[in-house]
Amino acid sequence: MVRFLIKRLLHALVVLWVVASLTFFLLHITPGGPFDRERRLPPEVLANVAAKYHLDEPWWNQYTRYLTGIVQGDLGPSYKYLDRNVRDIVADTLPVSASLGIFALGFSLALSFPVGLIAAYYRNSWTDRFCLFIATLGISVPTFILGALLIWLFSLQLGWFQAGRWGDINSAVLPTATLGAAPAAYLSYLLRSAILDTLGEDFVRTARAKGLKETTVLFKHALSNSLIPVLTVLGPLTAGLVTGSFVVEYVFAIPGMGRFFITAVTDRDYPLIMGVTLVYTALLVGANLLVDLLYSFFDPRIKAQ
Amino acid sequence: MSRQNEAEEQRRQRGQRALLLLSLAFIAAVTLCGFLAPLLSPYSPAGLQEGRILEGPSWSHWLGTDGLGRDLFTRILYGARVSLTVGIGTALIALIIGSLYGLISGYSGGPLDSLLMRIVDVVYSLPDLLIFILLSLLLGRNIAGVLLALGLVSWVRFARIARGQVLQAKEFVYVEGARAIGASHLRIIMRHILPNIAGPILVTLTFSIPAAILAESTLSFIGLGINDPYSEWGTSWGTLAQDGWRAMRTYPHIILFPGLAIFFTILSFNYLGNGLRDILDPKGK
Amino acid sequence: MPHALRIAGRCALALSLVILFISCRPSSEVASDKVVRVNLGTEPPSLDWSVATDHVSFNVIANLMVGLTEFDRDLKPGPVIARSWDVLEGGKRIVFHLRDDVLWSDGKKVRAQDFEYSWKRLLHPKTASEYAYILFDIVNAEAFHRGKIDDHRLLGVTAKDDRTLEVRLRHPASYFLSITTFEVTYPQRQDIIERYGAKWTEPENIVTNGPFLLASWKHEDEIQLRANPRFFLGRPAIERVDMYMINEKTTALALYEQGRLDFLDNHSIPIFEKPRLVKHEGFRSVPQLRGYYYGFVTDRKPFDDARVRKAFALAIDRTVFPKILHGGEEPATSWIPPGMLAHNVEIGVRYNPAEARRLLREAGYPDGKGFPQVTLGYNTDEDHKIVAEAIQGMWKQNLGVLVRLENQEWKVYLSKLQSDPPHIFRLGWGADFPDPDNFMRLFTSLSGNNNTRWKNRRFDELVDLAAREWNTQKRVQLYNEAQKILCETDLPIIPLFTTAESTLLRPRFAGLEYNSMSRLVLRDVRLKNSQ
Repeated sequence: MVRFLIKRLLHALVVLWVVASLTFFLLHITPGGPFDRERRLPPEVLANVAAKYHLDEPWWNQYTRYLTGIVQGDLGPSYKYLDRNVRDIVADTLPVSASLGIFALGFSLALSFPVGLIAAYYRNSWTDRFCLFIATLGISVPTFILGALLIWLFSLQLGWFQAGRWGDINSAVLPTATLGAAPAAYLSYLLRSAILDTLGEDFVRTARAKGLKETTVLFKHALSNSLIPVLTVLGPLTAGLVTGSFVVEYVFAIPGMGRFFITAVTDRDYPLIMGVTLVYTALLVGANLLVDLLYSFFDPRIKAQ
Repeated sequence: MSRQNEAEEQRRQRGQRALLLLSLAFIAAVTLCGFLAPLLSPYSPAGLQEGRILEGPSWSHWLGTDGLGRDLFTRILYGARVSLTVGIGTALIALIIGSLYGLISGYSGGPLDSLLMRIVDVVYSLPDLLIFILLSLLLGRNIAGVLLALGLVSWVRFARIARGQVLQAKEFVYVEGARAIGASHLRIIMRHILPNIAGPILVTLTFSIPAAILAESTLSFIGLGINDPYSEWGTSWGTLAQDGWRAMRTYPHIILFPGLAIFFTILSFNYLGNGLRDILDPKGK
Repeated sequence: MPHALRIAGRCALALSLVILFISCRPSSEVASDKVVRVNLGTEPPSLDWSVATDHVSFNVIANLMVGLTEFDRDLKPGPVIARSWDVLEGGKRIVFHLRDDVLWSDGKKVRAQDFEYSWKRLLHPKTASEYAYILFDIVNAEAFHRGKIDDHRLLGVTAKDDRTLEVRLRHPASYFLSITTFEVTYPQRQDIIERYGAKWTEPENIVTNGPFLLASWKHEDEIQLRANPRFFLGRPAIERVDMYMINEKTTALALYEQGRLDFLDNHSIPIFEKPRLVKHEGFRSVPQLRGYYYGFVTDRKPFDDARVRKAFALAIDRTVFPKILHGGEEPATSWIPPGMLAHNVEIGVRYNPAEARRLLREAGYPDGKGFPQVTLGYNTDEDHKIVAEAIQGMWKQNLGVLVRLENQEWKVYLSKLQSDPPHIFRLGWGADFPDPDNFMRLFTSLSGNNNTRWKNRRFDELVDLAAREWNTQKRVQLYNEAQKILCETDLPIIPLFTTAESTLLRPRFAGLEYNSMSRLVLRDVRLKNSQ
């Protein structure tokens, strides 16, 4: 077990290193630099700015400087937000993204479990088809259109919920629903098919043959065995939700971290892009590791390799 | 199985087929509309019609006009070309890269396989949207650039599925038999493995198309969607809807109609995918 | 009813109850009377006025701080901290006399030394300020910034005593007083900056001297300003200002309509909503000193021919812009914007399709036949897209030339402008300080921002002469001649319009507006019915 853990951790570190390097080089071949402005800077001014951020050094030095920084826990300065460094920015915005992400995850689980169960229970009936239709809705609309629709209906027409900004529970309802819609749909589908799969397996047949009630079969046997595939996707899904979504944060004016995946690119704020990418990757790799550990805990048949 | 169950099964299949046909018909109709757009509408999707700016739906402009007085219906017709091309093109690019990759990985096995799969792990650990943006900046702001950028992000799914299927197929008796009698690798792949993995790949392809359309619309929201009204391609639905988002309060029709076009198209592809999966890959429902 | 369903049903019921409960809360928060809520649009990149470069930061800083001068309604620099000034030695030496009743928020007096420190900090190479060049007219400033001089005492800015600031210039510069209205020249406290380092702009550290104090700064979300009771021109009427950072215009408008925001500007009003909002009480449109133009790359065919450039300019009907942009844009045929000295509506070419076709024929392209494929570039943006598509249509209709549109993300666009520019490019120019020199120098041969590759010795000469001229009348004449070269004979650019800032203020307030330098001035905001 310990060997497995160490191996996986080393693997995770390699992934992080490759991701960091890849992003670094992709950024440096992307046209446009952080200090390209409409009002072009005079060369002597640009020289001082470049010297401040070591941008005048060869890329190899910049690269090693960056990696050394990361190892020491320093994510570097932000080229755009001059009063703060990347660590401050992540520390300010990640908690907001994380709370919204967890709300959205809760929302999608709360929605997908009943829908998936009902659909599986009434499989192939109109109820099933209706449930699937509802689920399909969640993945058939671009996020920003869904957000627009929710704002139009619930904020402007009905006046129930706040149209934007992050604060009390009221302000969290619409972004949670917008962010959670697609995962909810996805999870509903997944649960339904996982339950149907297990329903076809021998031990379920045996249970049925023993005369157990269908609901007991569904909850006791089918559901608990269907959790494995759900668990598998839950890892990466959580990592994605927790690091924030650009679209949702923009549409609802939420001060989260997801925005930087876009704005830091348009600002060419290299350290900030690298910072948020590393946070994302670390969370993703961590979540996957956790899922693998939970596996071997839940299902002894799957041995840690 | 009881007779009742059989009857239910038949009913189910009939329902499923009907949905599948309906989806196919809708997709065909949208494709046709895209091709025949110049014949279907008397208006141009480009230019400025000063007197007709921001009109609501009427008899002459069924879906109203936009901020430059262009007929929205016409723009949606032309937009079908871009959006479908992006969807299908991206999915095909991803399919080609991904299945080749997965095929090689799964078939070769051993250290090459694990190396290739580590690379997949890395690609999978990158934030999608960030990579879209970087690639689309690198590859240029045209339809080919967007296609390639989206394709390069979404091939991983194909690679994993193809590899998984190859690993399964390799276990089959007839593959081992073919290998025993000394058939060439190419022959084994073409003859025995490809037919086996075609079904799941086709299903994945169908689901990748709506995913690509959604991804393009996200790019549109950032302002990096496809927009070139005078070219043959026109403006994507995502970009049309994004224009509408900026006018939502007063002129909801500008976001509503492109939104509906996206919605029904994606819905159709999803139903098509479900139907195909039932037929081709009954285990994976 | 099966057990599973019953449970699911209960869950659903609970969920809807929760939603109901939440939605029953009063949805529009009642704002305290003396709080005004505005939208900044984005997080200000820095509140350190030595390194800030963008209008969002300056919009906050301009309400926290005052400097030597500020410009009045006629855009002439008027006294603030500087009580008066003497222009000596033909404009090469300026001595500012400071008031002695201006206080920092920690109670200390603002002294001439604070200006000296701030200006030297701006120029110091280690500060790496992007606006350092704004003070390059000062003796030795450029050499100091390049690191060629280490001794800051050689710089031409000295505090003679607490109340006297002396500035020595390399050459007479009639626009220098205008520079002192710019936020980057505001005073700074050496003790504070040295004590807190990069964190000196945090609310608990920062020391300011303006109408408002920085009460809190929740990054990416909200900044709160509190009225400064000790502001030397009197405490502002409003108690508090909440500045939100709402990126999306549609969202900002929705929040306004929900009563959660009191003031909208161009960064908060979607353009297509303007026609409706224009009718609202509290809607205003303030012309800005910001020009919007298309430039030609003049050393490449076909735009190396001035006739072709003129034909393209003549084929544009500029009256369309306010109709499609809806924001009170002012069509412009000349380059110096309205409101600025030497603005002249008479100069420039007007819409004349027949003349445009004639010129194009003369240049060898009758009805656009044989015209090479040319590209119009612009950076990705809603407004630019609309303008480009409209002009593309006009050129197609009036000249028979179909121009290819190509939009690029901003930074890609900027780097392409240098390496591989499109034949025609879009750019804008805003004033740092309200003086025509700032606008006209842009197109001189040595300007780093002249992307047209157009060089005209007479034009350069006129701009230089005007900069050294203290006689207003004569300056105007010089600029008139220069503008005629730029906008009538040579046309390396087509001026299209000057922008305007549309603002919507909740009717219970008054006195909140943008000035023509795009600054949000909160000092005079008050409730309508109180004094």
